[in-house]
Amino acid sequence: MYAVEAHNLVKEFNGLRAVDGLSFTVERGEIFGLLGPNGAGKTTTIRMLLDIFKPDAGEIKVLGGAVDTHTKSRIGYLPEERGLYPRLRVVQCLTYLARLKGMGRREAKSRAEALLERVGLSEWQRKRVKELSKGMQQKVQFVATIVHDPDLLILDEPFQGLDPINTDLLKEMIREMHQAGKTIIFSTHIMGQVEQMCDRILLINEGQAVLYGPLAEIKSRHAQHAILLCSDDSLEGLEGVLRIEKRGADHLVFLRADTSPQDILRQLVAREATITHFEVAAPSLEEIFITAVKEGAR
Amino acid sequence: MKVEMDVKKIWTVATHEFVTTITRPGVIFSTLLPPALGLIALVVAGLFGGQAEQFFQGLGNQFIPQDNRIGYVDHTGIFTPPLPQYADKFIPYADEEAARAALVAGDISGYLVIPADYMATGKVMGYTKGRGISGAMAMDSDEIDAFLVAHLLAGQVDPTLQQRVSHPADMSIVALSERAETGQSDVWTVLSSFVLPIMFSAMLSITIFVSAGFLLQGVGEEKERRVVEILISSLTPTELLAGKILGLGAVGLTQIIIWFGAGWALLGGVAVIFAVSGILPFGVGTLVLALIYFLLGYLFFATIMAAVGSLGTTAREGQQLAGFFSMGAFVPMWFMGAIMANPNSLLARILSYFPLTAPTMILLRLGMGEVPAVDVVISLVTLVIAIAFCLWGGAKIFRMGLLTYGKRPSIKAIWRALRQA
Repeated sequence: MYAVEAHNLVKEFNGLRAVDGLSFTVERGEIFGLLGPNGAGKTTTIRMLLDIFKPDAGEIKVLGGAVDTHTKSRIGYLPEERGLYPRLRVVQCLTYLARLKGMGRREAKSRAEALLERVGLSEWQRKRVKELSKGMQQKVQFVATIVHDPDLLILDEPFQGLDPINTDLLKEMIREMHQAGKTIIFSTHIMGQVEQMCDRILLINEGQAVLYGPLAEIKSRHAQHAILLCSDDSLEGLEGVLRIEKRGADHLVFLRADTSPQDILRQLVAREATITHFEVAAPSLEEIFITAVKEGAR
Repeated sequence: MKVEMDVKKIWTVATHEFVTTITRPGVIFSTLLPPALGLIALVVAGLFGGQAEQFFQGLGNQFIPQDNRIGYVDHTGIFTPPLPQYADKFIPYADEEAARAALVAGDISGYLVIPADYMATGKVMGYTKGRGISGAMAMDSDEIDAFLVAHLLAGQVDPTLQQRVSHPADMSIVALSERAETGQSDVWTVLSSFVLPIMFSAMLSITIFVSAGFLLQGVGEEKERRVVEILISSLTPTELLAGKILGLGAVGLTQIIIWFGAGWALLGGVAVIFAVSGILPFGVGTLVLALIYFLLGYLFFATIMAAVGSLGTTAREGQQLAGFFSMGAFVPMWFMGAIMANPNSLLARILSYFPLTAPTMILLRLGMGEVPAVDVVISLVTLVIAIAFCLWGGAKIFRMGLLTYGKRPSIKAIWRALRQA
């Protein structure tokens, strides 16, 4: 059973294709990354999933059916363009947005109060939204996204503008929702940010799919056969090494096909070299993305 | 347009819009201001009524000389000596020198010179001191006419006839309805059958624009503050639009009810009854008609305002765009004079058939007297068709406009949105 099914989505604006034949599925209960650089078509895709835009072509099913007002009530959406009612009181604003998702007034208010407490803003619930700092408004916005206990969460650049402490708090809350069986779609251009959280990803560029599938599988497919190591001693003269690149304090050591990481480790131990860091180098999503785009262009 | 709508969500939007709008300080102020002014006027009248009368009398006396006697120099001999009833007021002088001296001395407030050829020409010269209002007021032409007529006809006709010739008409105006019903007519009636109904109609018309204006402002702000995307991901644009129209229409209706109720309470219902009976020679029927036009007019303009408002990139830009439509609706106000002279003129009728001007025009005409049934039917039909079109197209433009940030959508984009299923 899929949370989202999209087939051959096409959306044009003024003759330009923002989304060009995109197909993907999101399984229920997974964390799905919708990744790509700015202007790749992520937000347009999300807006089509939410029936904000009608696709020019293609088919969409969300939570098992076409997107209608009842489906919308089961989705929590954090848009990239944040916005709340500045004149309303925090709890009043959250209660209204929850009620628009079909929740009863009393339940909406008590959920809003509980969540505000969770994000450390319970003292601010009677204040007007415009009196809050930008960081606080970001947290209120996140609460607005989950206040109605949605089955599907769509988060567009969720950590944008948040400090590390609040980013951690939000990540923790997202993990809890995942554990509770909710489906989560992350959309971001900062790929490193969600790398550890996603089960599967769809990487898009210029409206088309570049990479799609389980994250672990994609990473192993793009593994570089290299090691990342940090040592104060010289790495000259190691057997089976193609080349060495400097990566900050570390060295990225590319190996010949017949050399294993263990062969290198053995040589280093024999040399009695001081090693502070040794790991099999997996490419970052960003690196995979750049490679995939270049390959696509060829 | 989606046929399936969630009534609960529409209701949520409507109640939210109603509560947040009606509790705004500006709205509370504008709702309570007219009743408060009425209350103050009543209290002032009640407490200082007597003094006020004296005050105004005193004010009048500044202009009208206390001893308002008029001198005259009669070269015809018809007017001398004056008839006994005029002897106190009209003082004959032998020549202009003497009359002028009396005027300068302040014995009289003005004098007439009646030349020898008066019977042939009817010419009379009047002299007053100074050029201000007091001089003009001193020479009350009605009184002078009566004086001249009385002396011209003295002894020749019966005194009653003479009286009638002097004052041929003590005019009372009674407006007849088509059923030829008559009513009392005095200042109050003129006020109740004319001024109050027009005020009532104008208030209804203004309320249409104030309420539609809230809608415009709200949509603009939601767009500017980027709340729109969350809203549209929660309910359909049509549901949002319907909720807003209902909620803000209720605000306008509440204002009218408060004003009406306050008028009733303050004036013991008298003025309100007069206002209603003025609008309605048939009673409740026309009040219902006025309310129907209010609601249809609001629905029409609210839809236009919402659609147009959604096209602007900021709340202010939306308001500028919508200004064009409100201006159209105020056209009947520009021709108020001509329409008041003849509420059933061709101009008034044409403006009643045109949806943009119909609500204001018919409301004004209802305030001025009866509107022919054919005009009501034609204007209702065109208005309802226009509303249906506006709701259909407005919801589409609203949906497209809401999410177009940064730049105003082109005419081509609007056309594309209208054609989209």
